[in-house]
Amino acid sequence: MKYLPLIWAGIWRKRSRAILMLLQIASAFVLFGVLQGLDTGVSQTIAKQHGDRLYVSSSVAMGDPLPIGLLARIQSVPGIEYVTPRADFDGSYQKLDQFVPVVAGDVDSFFKVYEELKTSPAAIRALRNDRSGAIVGILTMRKYGWRIGDHIVLTSGLPTSNGSHDWGFDIVGTYDTPDQPTSATALITNFTYLNESRLTGRDHADMFVTKIDSAADADRIGLAIDNAFANSSNETHTQSEAELAAAQLQQLGDLDFIVHGIIGAVFFAVLFATGALMMQSLRERVPELAVLKTVGFTDRRVMALILAESVTFCLVAAGIGLALSTLLLPLARQQIGFSRVPDIVFAEGAACAVVLAFVSGWIPASRGSRLQVVDALAGR
Amino acid sequence: MSFLDQTFALTATALRSMSGRRGAALVTVIGVTTVVGVLISLLALSNGARALGGSEASPDEAVVLGSGAASSQQSVLTRDEALAVRNAPGIKRAPDGTLYLSATTMVSVDAIRSNGKRGSVALVGFTPAIRLFAPGVKLIAGRMYRPGVHELIVSDPLRKMYRGLELGDHITLRGTEWTVVGIAAGNGTVNDSILRADADTVMSAFGRNTYQQVIVELTSPAAFDTFKSWALSNPALPVQVKTEAADFDDTFGQLHRLLDFVAYFIGGVMASGAICGALNSLYASVDARRRELATLRAIGFGGGPIIASVLIEGMLLALPGAFLGAAAAWLLFNGHVLSTEGLIFTLTVTPGLLVVSVSWALAMGLIGASLPALRAARVPVAVALRAT
Repeated sequence: MKYLPLIWAGIWRKRSRAILMLLQIASAFVLFGVLQGLDTGVSQTIAKQHGDRLYVSSSVAMGDPLPIGLLARIQSVPGIEYVTPRADFDGSYQKLDQFVPVVAGDVDSFFKVYEELKTSPAAIRALRNDRSGAIVGILTMRKYGWRIGDHIVLTSGLPTSNGSHDWGFDIVGTYDTPDQPTSATALITNFTYLNESRLTGRDHADMFVTKIDSAADADRIGLAIDNAFANSSNETHTQSEAELAAAQLQQLGDLDFIVHGIIGAVFFAVLFATGALMMQSLRERVPELAVLKTVGFTDRRVMALILAESVTFCLVAAGIGLALSTLLLPLARQQIGFSRVPDIVFAEGAACAVVLAFVSGWIPASRGSRLQVVDALAGR
Repeated sequence: MSFLDQTFALTATALRSMSGRRGAALVTVIGVTTVVGVLISLLALSNGARALGGSEASPDEAVVLGSGAASSQQSVLTRDEALAVRNAPGIKRAPDGTLYLSATTMVSVDAIRSNGKRGSVALVGFTPAIRLFAPGVKLIAGRMYRPGVHELIVSDPLRKMYRGLELGDHITLRGTEWTVVGIAAGNGTVNDSILRADADTVMSAFGRNTYQQVIVELTSPAAFDTFKSWALSNPALPVQVKTEAADFDDTFGQLHRLLDFVAYFIGGVMASGAICGALNSLYASVDARRRELATLRAIGFGGGPIIASVLIEGMLLALPGAFLGAAAAWLLFNGHVLSTEGLIFTLTVTPGLLVVSVSWALAMGLIGASLPALRAARVPVAVALRAT
């Protein structure tokens, strides 16, 4: 610790150069924080999914319609607590690009299956009694200034039975998602309303969503459901929510590959720049280091001093970069559904900074430790 | 000596002494190379997204979508609506009287990627008149599908990306066995991402009774307004009408604008880092030449040529990075196929991107050289010459 002032003085020996270098390393860590934060955050979101929720969809593809008649058969599979049919469509409010996702389900089981959607018993009762009722996420309520009791009309690509594309809903309640504050955006309505009002696809659900008694039984129950419909014209493909999220991530493509490629390229450049700068700084400081050795610093201590300088410098730069990235990532919240750089990324960033410091500081440090006092002071 | 002669002489001197500052020069080159390499690779991805809509949509094609649909994926057209469009004015006719009009339907089907993961592919059915439309499907193996039989053709990029889509393979969908009877050449457009079959065959196999959209070729681009106003003035026909270009923009525009933003954001952050590196290495270069510069000032070289020569030095240092970075992106990623959300992209490094890389590199060199250039021009002659 007593060497800290010495280390600090070494870093700021040439002020403008140090600031520029600091900015260069910090810029690398800005990207590290944003990209790695994105990548880790997406994986963490997947890990948080509910293992005791199974999605029964058509084996043809997710969202390919299944007859509503499958419901009873699914319900009879042992281990299933609740099951709801689900059908989704995209509505637009007033303008085509003001999306409101509409989700239709069975009111009594839907909020049991999706227990993280917090609403009131009164709202559920009201939805049960109002066929075209809707429970709306508080974010959407706020965004459009809706109030409970409002009648709103969404337009959609999905035609209604009278040939129009307007869908009316009575707002009877709201829901919130305290665990994931950014996701309370959907409009939840009765499956019967959607089913009876649409022109096409009657008596079909996009999928069935079930809550099972234990996540440990997910594989067994999934298999039992799929076996029940094997070799019929409605073969199913049952997945847990975690599997589903992983599959959707797969659809996002090779995010990992791109992120790691960019981070690799950025650090490659920074490594060279830092290394070259440390060498230059070492050359200028040969006489100083010789003086340190003259007053009794051992070779090892000189080496440690140079490395400590490099580590301190890189850690400060990484700190600045990561701090900036926490300001930038929330800008993408709409797309990614989370707004914090995960804590683990800070640890990874610090580790990267230390590695960067050691790799770029190693040659200068070993050179410095091998200095011969006589030669160095003589300027040889 | 004139301004130009002085600048030229100074630049030449600076370059001759470059070998003594090899390390610093290399840092600038590597910094610019990585910025340009990453920027060009990401822009190649965005180019791939732009190409999905075809490099140029044909101006005489129009798309009819169901009302209320924000994009063609959500569009629903009933059989009656699709039939009614046949009466619209301005649609081109073949010599035998067939209308240039094809209704399409789309179902998503899951398939297994060659890496073993499950992925989603669109099976698109077209009504027969699609054969009239340019540029059409270029088969590289097999033959076209026949209506009424469960046959489909697959694009070459899809065949390579997924298992079990080879010529003659059978795919079972909803208890029906489909046969791959042809392979279509890839062309980088959205057609690379789809399986093609006959519309009514698909609809009956999947129990659908609605189309997704209708595409028409008009007698001329000018006929679009007549066509559109006819469709919109018919209250029994709740549809939207778009030119093909507008439809592509609605469908893929957001994606490629997002990718463009990501590319320039990442490129911008990296470039600001590289500029710091260039500033440092050019400051070092100027500092190393203090006495030389002071001497030159003393024998009559002006400040202007000194500034110009440092700026030129910065740009010359950055220029190799432009070519190295673009070449690396081209070698590593050109033609590389990525899949996202059921769409296949081909990363394309176009000559236009070389212009982007050179201009970014020159800009980085110029900005990185600006402050050192000022310092070089202000070297106090007496102090610098006296210093040891």
